[in-house]
Amino acid sequence: MLRADSVTYLHDRGGGAAPPLLPDAGRFAQPGVQGVTLRVERGHVVGILGPNGSGKTTLLRLLAGMLRPESGTVTLNGRDLASLARPALARSIAVVPQETHLAFDYSVLEIALMGRYPHLGTFELEGPRDVAIAREALAATGTLALERRSFATLSGGEKQRVVIASALAQQAEILLLDEPTASLDLGYQFDVAALLARLNRERELTIVVATHDLNFAASLCRSIVMLSEGRVVAAGPTGDTLTSMSIQALYGVVADVYPHHAAGHLTVVPLRRVRRD
Amino acid sequence: MTDVRRRLTAAILAFGSLAFVSVLAAPLIGTTPISLRRVFDGSIPFADNVDAQIFFIARLPRALAGAAVGATLAAAGVVFQALLRNPLATPFTLGVSAGAALGAMLAITLRLHLSLWGVSAVTAASFIGSLGAVAIVYAMARARHRGFSTNILLLAGVTLNAFFSALILFVQYLADSAEALRTMRWLMGDLDIAGYGPLLAALPLCAVAFVAFAWLPRPLNLLSLDTDAAASRGVDVLRVQRVAFFSASMATGAAVSLGGPIGFIGIIVPHLVRLIVGADHRVVLPASALFGAAFLVAADVVARTAMAPVELPVGIITALVGGPFFLWLLVRQR
Amino acid sequence: MGHEASCWGLGAGYWALGARIVTLIAAMTVAGHALAPGTGAQQQPTRIVSLVPSATEMLFAMGAGPRVAAVSSYDRFPPEVEPLPRVGALVDPDVERILSLRPDLVIAYASQTDLLAQLRRAGIPVYSYRHGSLADIASGMRGLGTRIGVPAEAERAAAALERGLAEVRASVAGRPRPRTLLVIGREPQSLRALSVSGGFGFLHDLLDLAGGDNVFGDVKRESMMVATETILAKQPDVILELHYSDSASRETEARERDVWALLPGVPAVRNGRVRLLYGGELVVPGPRVVLTARAFARALR
Repeated sequence: MLRADSVTYLHDRGGGAAPPLLPDAGRFAQPGVQGVTLRVERGHVVGILGPNGSGKTTLLRLLAGMLRPESGTVTLNGRDLASLARPALARSIAVVPQETHLAFDYSVLEIALMGRYPHLGTFELEGPRDVAIAREALAATGTLALERRSFATLSGGEKQRVVIASALAQQAEILLLDEPTASLDLGYQFDVAALLARLNRERELTIVVATHDLNFAASLCRSIVMLSEGRVVAAGPTGDTLTSMSIQALYGVVADVYPHHAAGHLTVVPLRRVRRD
Repeated sequence: MTDVRRRLTAAILAFGSLAFVSVLAAPLIGTTPISLRRVFDGSIPFADNVDAQIFFIARLPRALAGAAVGATLAAAGVVFQALLRNPLATPFTLGVSAGAALGAMLAITLRLHLSLWGVSAVTAASFIGSLGAVAIVYAMARARHRGFSTNILLLAGVTLNAFFSALILFVQYLADSAEALRTMRWLMGDLDIAGYGPLLAALPLCAVAFVAFAWLPRPLNLLSLDTDAAASRGVDVLRVQRVAFFSASMATGAAVSLGGPIGFIGIIVPHLVRLIVGADHRVVLPASALFGAAFLVAADVVARTAMAPVELPVGIITALVGGPFFLWLLVRQR
Repeated sequence: MGHEASCWGLGAGYWALGARIVTLIAAMTVAGHALAPGTGAQQQPTRIVSLVPSATEMLFAMGAGPRVAAVSSYDRFPPEVEPLPRVGALVDPDVERILSLRPDLVIAYASQTDLLAQLRRAGIPVYSYRHGSLADIASGMRGLGTRIGVPAEAERAAAALERGLAEVRASVAGRPRPRTLLVIGREPQSLRALSVSGGFGFLHDLLDLAGGDNVFGDVKRESMMVATETILAKQPDVILELHYSDSASRETEARERDVWALLPGVPAVRNGRVRLLYGGELVVPGPRVVLTARAFARALR
């Protein structure tokens, strides 16, 4: 079980009035989170919702152990993440970033094999077992046929699935995804949602996904955490949390939320913009 | 036998034999014909054996220096490209060579006659200059926040390069023509080190850097993905960046103080190697080092024979080969 | 691609720097040492600005020293030039300063075309200076003397120069001519960046006159970079090394000479015939070449 207990991280927030000089510098001035408490049960799929700048990515990075909370703790099965060495952490928690831009042109199999990093010694090369695991992960995401292809030549949806395969090859129990569908067209969005649902079902993978896509969250998540300005404003089972009221409070959009019978889950239809209060 | 192991073995065998052959053959090639039998004829006193002198004093240290400088610059190029996540970065991008050039030029202009540990003032000053540049760039990259921003690193390096170049031009402008000529000659690169002293001084630094290079390839692969992706796969990103930055900078400083800022090696070689072996740094880094050694030794043979007895600066040869290659690479990338 | 472009710009910066220096050096080697008559009004000039150190020395040698109003930033000789205003040199002539001195003759390098054009436009007579050999020094003096209206004094000084050189030539006549390497520059404390005299220019001529056979006499260049291998192959009997500072401490000189121990097989090194010469006159193709010729002859003995 992954738990965050009154986690606060405000570093760099509001400190510099000057705009960042470089795109990279912007990431250091990330929105903070304040007193966030949440628990992710084993085998659950949890969605993190919130408007831009609400701290979703920061929370995800805190849950992944990539940021250390300024106060509060993040624990995995009772152990503070801060006490775990990086490779040990990586063997338990895998992360799929929003987009992946490679500096060099690796093959699909090479990308998948990079997931084996935390399992190998300093000078160890991947053995046949590692290759088998990586290929199995590619097979699970339906990209094994692409294994010899260069990553740069893939479509957006293929890339995202290969990166998920690379995270799967880490053999972690928890998968954290930051807006996995943000840059994908409808078809690929559907594929990724189906893939995550299947991985959760078949491998009992625990999944935390930060997203803007309310229908994606509704179809996939067992529970929802809503963030606004770094604080949790609502949390609980998806059916109880994803309501017209909470959506209006969160985004300032009037929406109709109802169970769609053909889809088999709640569906959100945004209707109009209102002033947020 | 896994894929990477097979490719690594093949690459090391192929590029290694290339490097080996070039270092072995280079001392045999030159404008003065020498006889190998005479070179190794122990019955002739060394002082009377011109063939042996040419072989051991002029050509062999030169070939070894070429191999050391070529290997170091090519490997440092690979490391800088991965660190900056920019395939067009070179060992000189972050100002190391500009610092070295400034140091060398000051030593030339001030006519320093000191020699430290058997190394001439120019060599020592250029190494100190490169360390100065490294320190400034590092301080800049760290100043803005607790992380290690490669973008700020890049910007600081570019700015420092421009600033040092201006300082060099300024001091140059005030210097005598003879000194200006010598500075210019230094900037073009020169491997005629006449003896083993400078080589022995530079080798320990390069050796330390190569130990770090041996540890780096796997984390560098992950860094090419993304720093966050690397961190989430268990890489201590800050530590890797720091080790990569300091080891590659130090190696570059040592290589530049030994042979001058010989351009293009640090970029053509890694790119050619990647075309052949793929992007995996575990193969690219050792293969680039070996190919860099072979390439520079060969370029230096051309430099000393093409216009003999006039000596061509080896940096001109590498630039003549490298410039068009680089353009081709740019066009091909689009 | 923004970063990539900027990374690339760096490397180019170096070569741009290199190229600028190359231009500079080219200008220096092309410009040189003998005088060719320029244009301008032919009355006796009394306020002469000389940007050319060897021309300055010639003016003083022919008794026209008091007419020199300003010199280049490199002028050191004769001592009378010390208090004179400095107006820049080959690459950085200070046109404003020159104009403000109201000269009636400016002696400049022929390669300073911009400066010459500006001065002509301002109506200031100019005398441009061009490359030459040892023999051109005396003829250059005569030409300059004619131009400033002291042909007799110039003839006397030129004749003295020629006599001095002839004496040196006579003094070495019949002596064996050692194969000599004339080093005109290198990195201190090492044998790197060796620059030597080829078979061209006043230094080569002086060596020849002083009784040495230049080992690179067959290369038609004034100066060139050579590898240590070439020196080992050429096996010079004597190594003459020019240092342009006026003097050096005994230790520095010894340390610089010891550098050659790296090439023990070269006869000059083996037989202790590496000679270091110090003096600002070694680079100036003016009346003091007689001193240089004598120094060469002494060193070769």
